[in-house]
Amino acid sequence: MKVKELLQKGPFFLDGGMGTLLQARGLKPGEAPERWGMSHADVITDIQRTYYEAGSDMVLSNTFGVHPLRYDLAECEEMVRTAINCADQARKSIGDGKERFIALDIGPCGKLLKPLGNLDFEEAVQGFAEVVRLGVKYGADCVFIETMNDGAEARAALLAAKENSDLPVLVSCAYGADGKLMTGGTPESVVAMLEGLGADAVGVNCSLGPDALAPIVERYLAAASIPVLMKPNAGLPQEKDGKTFYNVGPEEFSAQIVPLIEKGLRIIGGCCGTTPDFIRAVKKASADIVPPAVEKKEKTIIASRGHIIELGRDPVIIGERINPTGKKRLRKALEEGDMAYVLNEAIVQEEHGAEVLDVNVGTPGVDEPALLEQAVQELQAVTDLPLQLDTSDPEAMRRALRVYNGKALINSVNGKQEVMDAIFPLVQKYGGAVVALTLDEDGIPGTAEGRLAIAEKILKEAAKYGISPKDILFDTLTMTVSTDGNAAKVTLDALKMIREKTGCGTVLGVSNVSFGLPVREVLGSIFLTLALERGLSAAIMNPLSERMMGAMISFRTLTGRDENCAAYIKYAGDLPTMQAVTPTAGAAGGAKETEAKGLRRAVVKGLCKEAANLTRTALEEGRDSLDLVKEEIIPALDEVGQGFEAKKIFLPQLMMSAEAAEAAVAEIKKKAGNRDEQASKGIVVLATVKGDIHDIGKNIVKLLLENYGFTVADLGKDVPPETVLEAVERLHAPICGLSALMTTTVPAMAETVKLVHEKAPWCKVMVGGAVLTEEYAREIGADGYGKDAMASVRLAERYMQEQA
Amino acid sequence: MKEGLRLAELGEIPFDEKEILRYAMLPSFAPAPEELPMKESLEAAKGAVQCRAVWCRFPLKREGNELDLGFARTTSQGLKRHLEGCDEIILFACTAGAEMDRRITRAKLQSPAKGLLMHAIGAQQVEGGCDRLCRQLAEQFPDKQLTDRYSPGYGDLPLEMQRDVMTALDCGRTVGITLTDSLLMTPSKSVTAIIGMKERKPE
Repeated sequence: MKVKELLQKGPFFLDGGMGTLLQARGLKPGEAPERWGMSHADVITDIQRTYYEAGSDMVLSNTFGVHPLRYDLAECEEMVRTAINCADQARKSIGDGKERFIALDIGPCGKLLKPLGNLDFEEAVQGFAEVVRLGVKYGADCVFIETMNDGAEARAALLAAKENSDLPVLVSCAYGADGKLMTGGTPESVVAMLEGLGADAVGVNCSLGPDALAPIVERYLAAASIPVLMKPNAGLPQEKDGKTFYNVGPEEFSAQIVPLIEKGLRIIGGCCGTTPDFIRAVKKASADIVPPAVEKKEKTIIASRGHIIELGRDPVIIGERINPTGKKRLRKALEEGDMAYVLNEAIVQEEHGAEVLDVNVGTPGVDEPALLEQAVQELQAVTDLPLQLDTSDPEAMRRALRVYNGKALINSVNGKQEVMDAIFPLVQKYGGAVVALTLDEDGIPGTAEGRLAIAEKILKEAAKYGISPKDILFDTLTMTVSTDGNAAKVTLDALKMIREKTGCGTVLGVSNVSFGLPVREVLGSIFLTLALERGLSAAIMNPLSERMMGAMISFRTLTGRDENCAAYIKYAGDLPTMQAVTPTAGAAGGAKETEAKGLRRAVVKGLCKEAANLTRTALEEGRDSLDLVKEEIIPALDEVGQGFEAKKIFLPQLMMSAEAAEAAVAEIKKKAGNRDEQASKGIVVLATVKGDIHDIGKNIVKLLLENYGFTVADLGKDVPPETVLEAVERLHAPICGLSALMTTTVPAMAETVKLVHEKAPWCKVMVGGAVLTEEYAREIGADGYGKDAMASVRLAERYMQEQA
Repeated sequence: MKEGLRLAELGEIPFDEKEILRYAMLPSFAPAPEELPMKESLEAAKGAVQCRAVWCRFPLKREGNELDLGFARTTSQGLKRHLEGCDEIILFACTAGAEMDRRITRAKLQSPAKGLLMHAIGAQQVEGGCDRLCRQLAEQFPDKQLTDRYSPGYGDLPLEMQRDVMTALDCGRTVGITLTDSLLMTPSKSVTAIIGMKERKPE
């Protein structure tokens, strides 16, 4: 029988712990087992034979730490070759004719992936790919990815295994006692992601004993449609006479595991502290147990890093605002690469109740595949909401799916053969739930039956790729009712019909229905209600719209989904604050002069709301905006800046003043509308250098520079020299500011300074950061050293004067 | 887990507003700005921190100009002075965890002042975790006298030692700390340090 079938059947036995046994045979603490194993092949073989003899159907090769980030390729190859050969010798030495297997063991690479760490996703995939290819070359039967405590890394390893072998792949993660991975993944989110990517079995190992891991295994069993594995420790480590031992013996270990086999656990082994006796004990105790068959779960699940959403039960709110269609400000942000604006849109929607975020960055003049990939990665660093990847460009979809950490909602496929040919292979490879539009080569059918026919065609085509109907949601296409009086009715009829006939979930972009009509939200919210009543699974809508949210929340309240009407009461309670508050400036009615004084004081004191209100009142009373900046805001900032330099005012105070100034300037900009904004003093390119992820100092410099009228192009942190140069050249920036906090990143700063001076000699480079000094800055060739944020502003002002 | 490594239960570290302001570079004599988003930031940090720590005892030997720390060797004079009279060390790593980093990133987008405070909260939490660990160690070794903490990167102790620390404490596996190529720790709110131990002299 093949491994895959045996895994499906179960119970299937793996090996147990290796480290303790190796230490007993001479491995020193701190020595790498994979390296030690090359010179002690006989010991490895010996231990693995004892596991086979104890009943292990498959042992793991001694390759846990083999990775190109740790060893050069030649050594990796020698390690994999030796390790698989050891296991092969072990199985051959038994000679009872029973079939036994060897898994290529793959552990974490030792570096954390972006965005939390700085290992690039593709670099991680390539590293694992090398190891997988070696495993294939030397005859492994399986790939066993284990002890992963970051879902993104497990994903990278699995993708590498699928792309470089046809072997079955088992993926096992290490959970904390809180039931989470160190980077936040939960059993449900991890299962959704790994299943989508085509894992053959999933499960847990290490960190805890079987009883502590049991609840996590049960959650795996409830979520997974593939076999579940468990390789726990022998309880918890304890110390006695300076020696470490584990507190659970073979019998107790076995007694804790057997009930899980009865519930469906089918692949069993041991981790730290376990020995062949543990495997023998479990095997013996479970000899007569047949685990219940692996059950296919029929729920429609999408997932982010640590969070799942089920579609088809309660209606879900998909935030529509990250889509440049008809949004000038967002379009501008995308063109300029201003990702902070996009990220803020995400946070605001989340705070207003969005449960999934649609992400569409397609606008003329941008490199959509690159931008969508970047947006997905950066969004996932600040929000744990699942994303709906929204693009009609298959290459953009491919790149976004590749980096998306979770199981995405894919928007969209439709009945056109060409589109299905492009999108379904991506769903098959990367996983995801896909939104299918009921249109095809002949356009959008004018009847509900016509749309149902397309839905059925799509389901048939999806089945060819092994994509289950549960992972398809139909969008019956909202058309504007102002151009066709029947449009909404057909959409709603089709929705109901498809829901009933196919059982699939449904999605609608609801806002479109009212296009071209006044008071759009009234129509929109009623349309939403009607759609919900017909079984809509998810609405793509604006969570900032009171009325739309009112409809959604009311529907939940009225259909028994809102216990004690809590959500509705909260919604109602938030209403007054959602309405614009009329300004209540403290100095209202006073003379202009007093207000102005008030504004200066408000900025000095860091009172944001008051600064905004006073500015608004002053403008309404006809005060010139440039006047306000020159006579109130800048003098206030100067006062604070001087206080800071004299050590009478401190960082938090300086920052609050800067924020108050920003609030005041925002009012001025609002008033100016689309008219020419005040002339910028000049462009400053800011970056934290490559290798450095400390950006708080840089962010303060940015805030102050903007206060003083500079335009700042903020490139973020960990920025390579070439990227800095590219921005300086593109913007022809007269000034570039670099920050570095660590001694280890100063060389990267020196390299950046050199590159900019060489290729963009017009640009003055100022540097700052904790490890720098005036001398150090001069040594690496910088034009100036900003000892703090104020000093950087002074430098920037000086450079501009010199150039004038 | 590797022989000799110990995980510490640190529990929840209470927020300490005074300390947080100090980490935000506000001296104790200066008033906090009226609208400083402290309450909001504490709310945003709630539940984000899970302090984890791992530690290990090593014998300390002196060979000429060199210190043999049991997991690495160094000629740092600063550390040598710090460990005067000690015959053992405890090496530890402590982290506030990955979720705090995420919330800091998020706060920075919302407002720079909130970002600054969240950084400070992360620092207060991990330092609070270190303090608690040190108290636990002092209780566990009542007959020993423990020195203050000394970290790679302090004085003349090279930051490169972080690589040895990560290996010795198996940090990736035990507490989830890894190093970047430029030797920064991720999660960023993490601390590694050496504590010296000597016999407590009867007073």
